[in-house]
Amino acid sequence: MRDHVLKYLLVLPAVVVVFATAIWPLVRSFVLSFYQGRLTRPGFPQGFLGWENYYWALFEEPAFWNSVLVTTVYSILTVGLTVIIALGFALLLAPGGRFRMSVQTLLILPFAMSPALIGVSFRFMFNPEFGLFDAFFGFLIPPLADISWLADPQLAFAVCVMADVWGWIPFLTLVLIGGLGAIPRDSLEAAQVDGANGWQVFKDVTLPQLGPVLAVVIILKSIFSIKTFDQVYMLTNGGPGTATQTLSHYIYFNGMKYGQIGYSASAAWLMVIPMIFLTYAYAKLVFRKNQQ
Amino acid sequence: MTGLKLRKFWQYVQLIVILIGAAIMIIPIIWIFMAAFKTHVDVYQLKIWFRPTLENFAVVFDPPYYLLDKLINSTIVATVTVLIAIPVATCASYSFSRFRLRGETVMLVMILATQFVPAVVIILPFFVMFRDISLLDTRTGLVLVNLAIVMPFAIWMIKGFIDGIPLDTEEAALVDGSSRIQVIRNIVLPMAAPGLITSGIFCFIIAWNEFLFALILTNKHSVTLPIGLALFKAEEGDLWNLLSAAGIIIMVPMFVLALIIRKHFVQGMTMGAVR
Repeated sequence: MRDHVLKYLLVLPAVVVVFATAIWPLVRSFVLSFYQGRLTRPGFPQGFLGWENYYWALFEEPAFWNSVLVTTVYSILTVGLTVIIALGFALLLAPGGRFRMSVQTLLILPFAMSPALIGVSFRFMFNPEFGLFDAFFGFLIPPLADISWLADPQLAFAVCVMADVWGWIPFLTLVLIGGLGAIPRDSLEAAQVDGANGWQVFKDVTLPQLGPVLAVVIILKSIFSIKTFDQVYMLTNGGPGTATQTLSHYIYFNGMKYGQIGYSASAAWLMVIPMIFLTYAYAKLVFRKNQQ
Repeated sequence: MTGLKLRKFWQYVQLIVILIGAAIMIIPIIWIFMAAFKTHVDVYQLKIWFRPTLENFAVVFDPPYYLLDKLINSTIVATVTVLIAIPVATCASYSFSRFRLRGETVMLVMILATQFVPAVVIILPFFVMFRDISLLDTRTGLVLVNLAIVMPFAIWMIKGFIDGIPLDTEEAALVDGSSRIQVIRNIVLPMAAPGLITSGIFCFIIAWNEFLFALILTNKHSVTLPIGLALFKAEEGDLWNLLSAAGIIIMVPMFVLALIIRKHFVQGMTMGAVR
């Protein structure tokens, strides 16, 4: 078989699979978002509503905006904290040596954990009677001792953020260690010879060189933060009330619990919009890297 | 002299901070390990010393939990997902790596982008469709939707491995009259094998840990392990000793797999954006 035919035949199955499992449902969701789409009533997807679902989400549903707010604050906090802590950890672990390498190996473990299980673990850790972290925080800050973390809106939110940060630090640390390793030694040494102190070397040499890797990490983490569902579902199930209800959870709840597929599809598509920008930025970074 | 002392001091500070960091990362895991071996009395206390028991691991496999069913479901779903994804992705990756295709960039960006589509968006139409064609609560349905999350990783990861295989042997074989198919089978596949296995393991971990799809699509027959965790919420509260035992069954196999492919984990997750 000639190559110019074969090369398309080889990609065909993959394109079909990606189309069927990702592109089609995306388009179908978009179509459904204009319909009433009640699961519990006959004649699904029922009547065409135009932009009404979107109008409802944007102007009539405070719960939608609540989940947008929760997701936004959650994403800013988790991205910021994870990146800063992981950067510090990466700087500490990058020099290598047996001790540091074994800690790096250890870091793989939390990352291989199912996010749902991380959620469960943190509920366990923050149990007011026998939770380990509860005991630890209670020891550090006595007013927090034996507090019912997940019953308080702010504290429940904080626990969700902590669980997320805990779960993502290892991965980000390992990526950043890779990035640090790629910085040419000469430029660091040149700066040291010039008499720059540790902070100056970091600020003027390390950080700028690490820029592209940091960008990758921030975008990737933002995407995963915005999509957050598993841990939150297992930790608080969006509660107390709707204090920790992320967008994914809101869409899940409206679609699956109330059977409002049309409405939740419109909310889901409103969530796709920020993803498009992030994906665009990420794709640019990937292709720049691949062309080098 | 003081400079040297200061450096020594900093070294120690660094070591201590690393130790604290490592402890924070590992203690929750150790705590779950311990809880899994505690009796239902000990688990409700902050005990470090306790008489270990294996009873929890027996209980989770008994009625009404039947964790073995979930274990089998998880294993089958993740395995079949990988067995479909890796061959399909390998063919595509070879083509992307070796040829110029019309619309290549568009296809690659599209594949990359699908990874970032929120799972809730994908699952709504699938739920409706599966309801109509009775694929709800089946392992087949679960495999289909898992392909959506696994394929982009598989394609980008394998493409990275094939990009790294030098062209000369392939070209020599082509000059000697081998067909392209023969070249792929006899030269590329053996050389890419470690990369394919690595990608397969990576995808297996992702499929194994998948939660949202299984939560929505399964309720009885095809429940997977992460969803099975919800079984251990009793009226009197969470049964932490059993949850922990189930947790160990979920995470230990993944720990082993992750350690095997640890060098490629980062590359897989970032889809080649970081080498």
